[in-house]
Amino acid sequence: MPITTEFEYVKPRDMDEALHVFSLYREKARALAGGTDLVVHLKENLARPEVVVDIKALQELAGFTLKGGILRLGALVTFSDLIDSPVIKAKFPLLWEASLTVASTGVRNRATVAGNICSAVPSADSAPVLAVYDAEVLARSIRGERRVPIADWFTGPKKTALQPDEIVTAVEMRLPAKKHAGCYMKLSRYEGEDLAQGGIAVLAFSDNTYRVAACALGPKPARCPRTEALLAGNKLGEKLLARARETILQEVSPISDIRSSKEYRLHMTQVMLGRALEKAVARLFGKGPKYGTENIA
Amino acid sequence: MDLQKLITKPKKSAKPQQAGDGLEVVGRSFSRVDGWEKIKGAAKYTDDLEFGPALLYAALVESPHAHARIKAIDTSSAEKVHGVVKVVTGRNFTQKFGLYMNDRYVFATDIVRFVGEQVAAVVATDPKIALRAAALVKVQYEELPAVMDAVKALEKDSPLVHPNLKDYTHVPWFFPKPGTNIAHWRKIRKGDLAKGFKDADLVLEDTYTVPRYAHCAIEPHSAIGLYDASGRLTMWTSSQSPFTQRHVFAETLKAFGLGHKDVRVISTYIGGGFGGKAGVTMEIIAAALAIAVPGRPVKLLWNRAQEFYNTYQRLGVTAKIKMGVTKAGKITALDFKLHWDAGAYVEYGANVVNAAGLSASGPYRVDNISVDSMCTYTNLPPCGAYRGFGYSEFLFGLESHITRMAVQLGLDPVEFRKKNAISEGDTLPYGAHMNPNGIRQAIEKVEKEIAWGVRQKSKDPTKAIGKALVCFWKSPAMPPNASSSAFLKFNEDGSINILVSGMEIGQGLLTVMAQIAGEVLALPVSKIRVETPDTDRNPYEWQTVGSHVTWGCGNAVKRAALEARERIFDLVQRVHCLDKSTLYLQDECVKCRTKPDFALPFRDFVINGIQAEDHTFKGGPIMGSGVFMPEFASAIGDPETGQGGHPNVHYTTGSAGIVLEVDRESGKMKILKVALAVDCGKAINPDLVKGQIVGGLMQGFATVLYEDMRYDGKGRLLNPNFSDYKIPTAMDMPGEVVPIIIEVPQPDGPFGARGVGEHTMIPCAPLIANAVADALGVRVKSMPVTKEKVALAVKAAAR
Repeated sequence: MPITTEFEYVKPRDMDEALHVFSLYREKARALAGGTDLVVHLKENLARPEVVVDIKALQELAGFTLKGGILRLGALVTFSDLIDSPVIKAKFPLLWEASLTVASTGVRNRATVAGNICSAVPSADSAPVLAVYDAEVLARSIRGERRVPIADWFTGPKKTALQPDEIVTAVEMRLPAKKHAGCYMKLSRYEGEDLAQGGIAVLAFSDNTYRVAACALGPKPARCPRTEALLAGNKLGEKLLARARETILQEVSPISDIRSSKEYRLHMTQVMLGRALEKAVARLFGKGPKYGTENIA
Repeated sequence: MDLQKLITKPKKSAKPQQAGDGLEVVGRSFSRVDGWEKIKGAAKYTDDLEFGPALLYAALVESPHAHARIKAIDTSSAEKVHGVVKVVTGRNFTQKFGLYMNDRYVFATDIVRFVGEQVAAVVATDPKIALRAAALVKVQYEELPAVMDAVKALEKDSPLVHPNLKDYTHVPWFFPKPGTNIAHWRKIRKGDLAKGFKDADLVLEDTYTVPRYAHCAIEPHSAIGLYDASGRLTMWTSSQSPFTQRHVFAETLKAFGLGHKDVRVISTYIGGGFGGKAGVTMEIIAAALAIAVPGRPVKLLWNRAQEFYNTYQRLGVTAKIKMGVTKAGKITALDFKLHWDAGAYVEYGANVVNAAGLSASGPYRVDNISVDSMCTYTNLPPCGAYRGFGYSEFLFGLESHITRMAVQLGLDPVEFRKKNAISEGDTLPYGAHMNPNGIRQAIEKVEKEIAWGVRQKSKDPTKAIGKALVCFWKSPAMPPNASSSAFLKFNEDGSINILVSGMEIGQGLLTVMAQIAGEVLALPVSKIRVETPDTDRNPYEWQTVGSHVTWGCGNAVKRAALEARERIFDLVQRVHCLDKSTLYLQDECVKCRTKPDFALPFRDFVINGIQAEDHTFKGGPIMGSGVFMPEFASAIGDPETGQGGHPNVHYTTGSAGIVLEVDRESGKMKILKVALAVDCGKAINPDLVKGQIVGGLMQGFATVLYEDMRYDGKGRLLNPNFSDYKIPTAMDMPGEVVPIIIEVPQPDGPFGARGVGEHTMIPCAPLIANAVADALGVRVKSMPVTKEKVALAVKAAAR
């Protein structure tokens, strides 16, 4: 299916050039990295930019590093890059696990983590994971660079804190110092690639504290602070789990759409929270299923 | 890769060679003759064909309304776009067409009847230009009240989709009701229904619903048309039905001076059909556009969304079943009402309704039966052929109902089925008699394979395991005079070319035809070439649908091979003075029973003849032709009872069983094991039959577990894409698939073969519904049986 809309295509050689294009064109410019959303939107005439800025030549956006306990994911890092990395699998297994659930191999080979959070669809699989790691988004314009906590990044469905003249350069997160383990549970219609009808990410720490975040269960991906507060300091048990399953219902607000009903999403929020917590805690003690298995609900 | 999980156990009955049948080529699993061609990329599909720089591209202007009157069309802005060659509207083509009911338009003329219907087309030098210009065509509509539901369409004040129905021509076995939305009403009345219900110990009545489905072939529809200066129309199409297409093109466009000899249809390999490429849908637009721009080829290629909303969809159905059963487990009465949503045009879909109506008893003997199978017009996209042709739809309700009744009576659902299963000679719902079949063997083999009666427990306490066994049957749905024919010609080296117009649609037709001819002529498959058809060169075939080509086209090929063999024997008798009755073919030679040292290789005579003692040559090129028509068939019966006639040539029967693990909380289902036994009469190529079983099961499970066409209140399809219309991936394969081949010969089939293509998907929906009920005690009566429905049903039951 051909793209019928017309636009200028530029491929800046350095960051300055790219940032100048964005400061000139602002909303009329769209960044092209993986293109897995943008190209589809161009074909369907949902995106009509005046200029498409191909940022793939910008070296400082490429690759990822883990230095001093800080993981920096350049804006061009794809989900396959993460999946193929033994470092990510060893140090950030939750990020690795969630990456495996994003779309299909072909899409993951191109789709970037930065693109996933810039698209900011409520179902973004990477979002709850970045939320529980307290990630920060690095945004730059000719005015300078700023750091946006992931909690402030999503401002609504498909809306972010990114300014029209900015691009995302990287996403950073700190490797938690305490012993921890995680689990990402995703509600899909089948085992193949699917957009999450709901997702719950959990990080469980050895001091009985927990971080919980959700996607596709409200207008934007977000942490679940009340559930976290209820769990904090307690060992996981049947009674606590039952209360957590009730509490999280106050923190999600799913809708009914073609993919799932509100009723099923609420039901599965409880099921997935319970399973994610149990698996994360089991993993904390070296038990539980291997990362990347049994996480499609 | 999860494909590794697929274990296909070879079964004894599926072994290539059965001792004692004397067959050398038939019954063995030769590799596909088109295998390397496809693997290496040499195989051409319609969109691969090159037409040079003169090729033009078409884009459509489509209706945004489900039902509206076209007030005005302004094409002036589109015509001004540089690169636009022509803009065509319904004013240029007012003809109607249709396979069984002449109700479909080339372009909407005054009225649009579904969202997405073609109103105009732009032909341009480039696909982008065509699309941009199509967006500039302005159409003024006056919206009309629309009807989206097959049951509501029967209400008195319902809008009429075709007010002029009384003027439409149709085949004589259709019974439309002008002044209503009923395009065809197939009635079956046999026995004494009231007495049947009186004799029953349990009567159960319920309603089951099945939505519409899409075929989702990998390759979208495409067609290229060229109307040249000599006045002939050549069409390259991705089609299951080249000859039927030629007929429809010639009939529809005869006002332009075209006769059948002037229309040529060339069908390349196709990337999946499943019924969606049977008959004529979008191809008529390409044919009309070719006429509109003579001298230049015009290409029309469907995008994925159009593939969903403007080809054929599978019909939706609301099925009301009332069944009576005795304590002993005998079915005494069946009252079956099927309300089919056939969409805006039913030219093909009405025959689905007819076929389902004739066979709605399922593979059971039901002496007292009433069936009302009603084809209803709605303002949704047109419906037509889809693998299974109505049988999957009615079997969902029927096989669900049977299990429920058996369980309620405390009977074993499998024993219940054995007791009622149809036998050779039983009277069918329309009065004819049942063919030989192996349904009981199928039930027994499947029952054993899934260890029926042995309850399994999941290691995971959140999961339960359920089992189910169901039966299926299906007959080809075809006009009584649907014919097949074949040419066969020898080459200098003793190889042959076979010309047929049965289509290779992935099922392995070319290989099977080669094996049939190879068996008769003692030739290895490697010396036989069979290719996809060109109607100028290849002889007639009605269509590649209804799982009938192995049978019908196979019979024609067998007859062609027998004719060629007869010519060989005649020649050898004449020249070598050996009695014909002593001659036989073996290892590419003519041999003689009474003269063991005689062996005349084909390559020595099949083109250049045999040199006689006087140095003259006798014979010449050896050829054969074969024709097959089921001369015993008739579609004419009493319209009020369906009795009379012999509309169905035979039924293929079988049984399938499942072991299903269900998550009580999420409703997620995992097929641990599935076994399917089908009586194909004779497996010409057992591996291809197994391929049909595995593929059919996957397609069937997709329709019951994931797929579902969703419309909004305005008749707009909400999921014309794979983001929200889910078909399974390799990750969704069952844990184990066990294909089982049963061989009770079909007396009039080639080497006893009967069709098997569609049957393998038919049992899937009730298998899942019954296994879920067995595992968790909840009954889902609407397809698809998604994990969401299962989880919410379990939750509701717990309250």
